[in-house]
Amino acid sequence: MTLSLPDILMGQFVALGSPLPPEAGDDYTAARRGMLAMLNALASQEAERGFAARLWENGALRELFFEAAGDYDEAFAGRLAKAAGQTDGDFTWEGLDATNAHLRRLLIALHETVEARADGALDRRILDLYVRMAHERRLELPGGLG
Amino acid sequence: MTLAERLAAYLTRTNGVPTQVEDLRRIYGGASRETYRYEAIADGVRQGFILRRDPPGSLIETDRRAEFLAIRSFAGKSVGAPEAVLLETLGAELERPFFIMRRAEGGVSGSIFNARPYGSHGPSIGRQFFTFLGRIAAEPIDGLPLCEAVERPARGECWRRELDYWTGVIDADEQQPQPIVRAAIRRLYRAPPPLAAKISVVHGDYRSGNFLHDGAGEIVAILDWEMAHLGDPLEDLAWALDPLWSHPQGDTVSGMVSQADAVAIWEDTSGLTVDPAALAWWRLFASVKAQAIWISSAKAWRDGGMTEPILAFSGWFTARRQDQILASHLAGLGA
Repeated sequence: MTLSLPDILMGQFVALGSPLPPEAGDDYTAARRGMLAMLNALASQEAERGFAARLWENGALRELFFEAAGDYDEAFAGRLAKAAGQTDGDFTWEGLDATNAHLRRLLIALHETVEARADGALDRRILDLYVRMAHERRLELPGGLG
Repeated sequence: MTLAERLAAYLTRTNGVPTQVEDLRRIYGGASRETYRYEAIADGVRQGFILRRDPPGSLIETDRRAEFLAIRSFAGKSVGAPEAVLLETLGAELERPFFIMRRAEGGVSGSIFNARPYGSHGPSIGRQFFTFLGRIAAEPIDGLPLCEAVERPARGECWRRELDYWTGVIDADEQQPQPIVRAAIRRLYRAPPPLAAKISVVHGDYRSGNFLHDGAGEIVAILDWEMAHLGDPLEDLAWALDPLWSHPQGDTVSGMVSQADAVAIWEDTSGLTVDPAALAWWRLFASVKAQAIWISSAKAWRDGGMTEPILAFSGWFTARRQDQILASHLAGLGA
């Protein structure tokens, strides 16, 4: 996860209202306008599926933590089990992202532990999950561009 | 005073010849330098130039002296380096450091938005592109102007220096946890590459989109030397091959040549043989470095007042695409 939809939309508002540099010619203005249009098109994709992607990812991470919790020492298993037992309660973009950030930090810690233990099966599971996470968050260039 | 008037005052003072500046226009793109094109008229002669000036705050911390000297290092060496004209490190009338290059006339750049950005000229441009890169790798570094501005790493330390640096950028600029790139970083530290075959100039951002071509199959200029340094020449090759620079549906490197041909051309020109294990390491590193830049873009967009949309594009679309590339790469490597 990097920027969120509110970041993009608020930025569009600010950017459209910002003065251009005095040396901006027609080419500069057209290129900047094209970039803003591209962001609008991508924002429509994010509005359509970004929320579902966040809910899916949070659920997938909790499922992983639930499965992995039994394999680890009490302290770490407790952290995993606690995260696995929680649910999303704040359904704003900011709320989902805050929960996701907490889960992702735990995912990083889990993967580090898996690597240290040379647990090939769980490592494979996490690597496959990364592919799915990146796919769910994908943005596609519009209009035959991608 | 306008920027054109200040530039004219600077050129008149430093050249000792009354100089006019006309048609000064900002070029869109890039966040680490402000780039302008302009015409200078002195002694009745009109010539086209490019001005690269530091912005008030820069996305990538780069040394314009190193960029200037890197370009100078390859003057007349058939790698498409522009002619570097002057460097002003104090800013003078322009208030911020800048340098000036002669403008490559008639050049256009390709776009990653296009699956075949060079049309039927793709193979011809690709051969030049990887030939130029091979020549950069082949160039002996002793005595090059660039060596005045950058450190020369030991052959066994190139990878660590680069990985430490870009990991540090992610540590500093990451605003949300990034498990995919973190897994890639751990893997790179766990399994370092073989010793670099030699120490070469590394352009640092050698890719589609960073060169101009004439629309008829000839490259007229290689641009954006701002991340130039000394290191393992495979770093540049891996960067040029990163899938990010190619259209998602493309089956060649940036609409030019196949990967196998790209490597063969590079080997033939550089005189080096690619170690597959080393190239694999540098290819994963290339995606880590790129993601570091996109993470910085996102931070710059949020913290910089959200005025420059290209930062949002880099920190959002490009970062997401890079995560897909990284995840696929890691999954392919396995445990």
